[in-house]
Amino acid sequence: MNKFKALIIKDFQISKKSLMIPIWITAGFYLLIILMSSIAYFTGHMNMSLDQIQGSPPSETINYIINIAIMGLPGLISLIFIIILTQGALNENIRNNSELFHRSQPVSIWYQSASRYIVGIAGNWLVLFLIALFNFIVVAIVLSIIDKFIFATAFAGMAQSVVSFMKTGLIIGSLTFFCSAIFKDKAFLQGLAIIIGIQFLFIIMNALLHWHLPLPLNYIIKLINAAAPSSLDSEFVNENVGLYISELWKRLVINWKTLLQIGVSGVLFVASTFIYKYREIK
Amino acid sequence: MIQGNVIKVKNLTKYYGKFKALDNVEVEIPEGRIIGLLGKNGAGKSTFMRCILGFLKHTGQINILGNSYKRHQQSIHENIAFIPDVNSLDDRLTVKQTMDYVSAINSSWNKEKAQKLLASSDLKPNKKVANLSKGMKTKLYLLITLSLDVRILLLDEPTLGLDIVFRKEFFNTILGEFYDETKTIIISTHQVEEVEQILQDIIFIDEGKIILQKNIEELKNEYSVYTVPSDQKEKLEQYNPKIISNTLGNVSAVLDSKIEIANAEVNRPTLSDLFMEKVGGSNE
Repeated sequence: MNKFKALIIKDFQISKKSLMIPIWITAGFYLLIILMSSIAYFTGHMNMSLDQIQGSPPSETINYIINIAIMGLPGLISLIFIIILTQGALNENIRNNSELFHRSQPVSIWYQSASRYIVGIAGNWLVLFLIALFNFIVVAIVLSIIDKFIFATAFAGMAQSVVSFMKTGLIIGSLTFFCSAIFKDKAFLQGLAIIIGIQFLFIIMNALLHWHLPLPLNYIIKLINAAAPSSLDSEFVNENVGLYISELWKRLVINWKTLLQIGVSGVLFVASTFIYKYREIK
Repeated sequence: MIQGNVIKVKNLTKYYGKFKALDNVEVEIPEGRIIGLLGKNGAGKSTFMRCILGFLKHTGQINILGNSYKRHQQSIHENIAFIPDVNSLDDRLTVKQTMDYVSAINSSWNKEKAQKLLASSDLKPNKKVANLSKGMKTKLYLLITLSLDVRILLLDEPTLGLDIVFRKEFFNTILGEFYDETKTIIISTHQVEEVEQILQDIIFIDEGKIILQKNIEELKNEYSVYTVPSDQKEKLEQYNPKIISNTLGNVSAVLDSKIEIANAEVNRPTLSDLFMEKVGGSNE
């Protein structure tokens, strides 16, 4: 276990800069908001009416939706950085000529692979969670001032948004990790290009030969879509936020699709590690 | 004291595409010896070392410390440390991070030795490996490798890029501190003169084939360098030496030490002389 800890520390040290970027971007956005708000305040253009916010929809809905919405951008940034880190997970050492050094260490290849997988995906999850916590605190302060802060509803909004992005990140990250075992450079783009190529080939063959070949991109999108919450039914949310939250938890976590997503990710990890293990080290 | 063989290689063959880099190599490496692996550029030295470690796909059998390996297994590195001919340290880590990482995953890490070696070097712990000069990177790699208490050390051109002072220090002092009779060191190098004093056995490799494996002293006793004036060149030519070299009005050749040539100056051969005689001139 100490070896695995050492690998995690080493991979974190290597990826630290990339992992920190979403935090700096979020900080930049907050600075921009503070700057714009200050300008608006001092020029007398600040137009924030409590009455407008205190009207419908109800406070519970506001607490819920704001916490979901505010995680949209950090979530997308997190996905981008999951792609950036996992697409170099199993080929970056080859590109910077350190593969011989790392593979000359007496530590299981499964540990080495798992460490890079965890830092690439879970590292970004952790960063996303930290940003979400910070956003949550900011939103809590703002809502307490201008309306009413309802902890349970707000926290559910934040948590569901984070879990949704985590699941999407798991699938996209695992696919990109797999690509990194096959391609030495720009693994994500090369993998995507091949999938799109196969997609078009199958579409043409299906059209010309009246076959029913399964379209890979459709399956992948379906798998990723299953990770995201369905479109918010605003009336449903307004009527009973509590019920909506519990329904969304079922759709988001407690179902067979979640198992499928975890299973596919596991298979992709195992396949990637096998490919990596049997590759020649030049 | 020669004990068992730590490495046994049988019918080792490696192709790069259609090019045969190793051709049915058979070799046994005894324990507790310092062995030089000499060959011209492209002879197969690095390929041989990397095949032993299982880094390259090959055919044939490799047995290390009683265990047979068909492909790369991390457990090999519990007992073998390796320095490749290209610096492969991770540029993204600092000197300290690199040492911490290696020490944490190697049970054979000798902390005292590492601290001693680090103190005697001018490496700054917080400096990124990327910012080290080529020579400093090599020093760090040597420092890390020699801090491991392993039974076999594979050094592929270990002092490449280092200045002559450190090269001499490495071969004469540092490597000596690592070595004892339970350890085996295989060194592949072009700087034959620098390692000549420390080597006990020699392996000559050419065009992917092992052409000679012998104790150096025995080999040196078998041959002599004969020097005659240039106008008596035919005295040497009659024995068909591989190379006759010209030096200031004289010609010399490495021949069987039992041969007697009238008026010839006879000297003990160096490793370079023997290499030239056995393998021939450069490919380049």
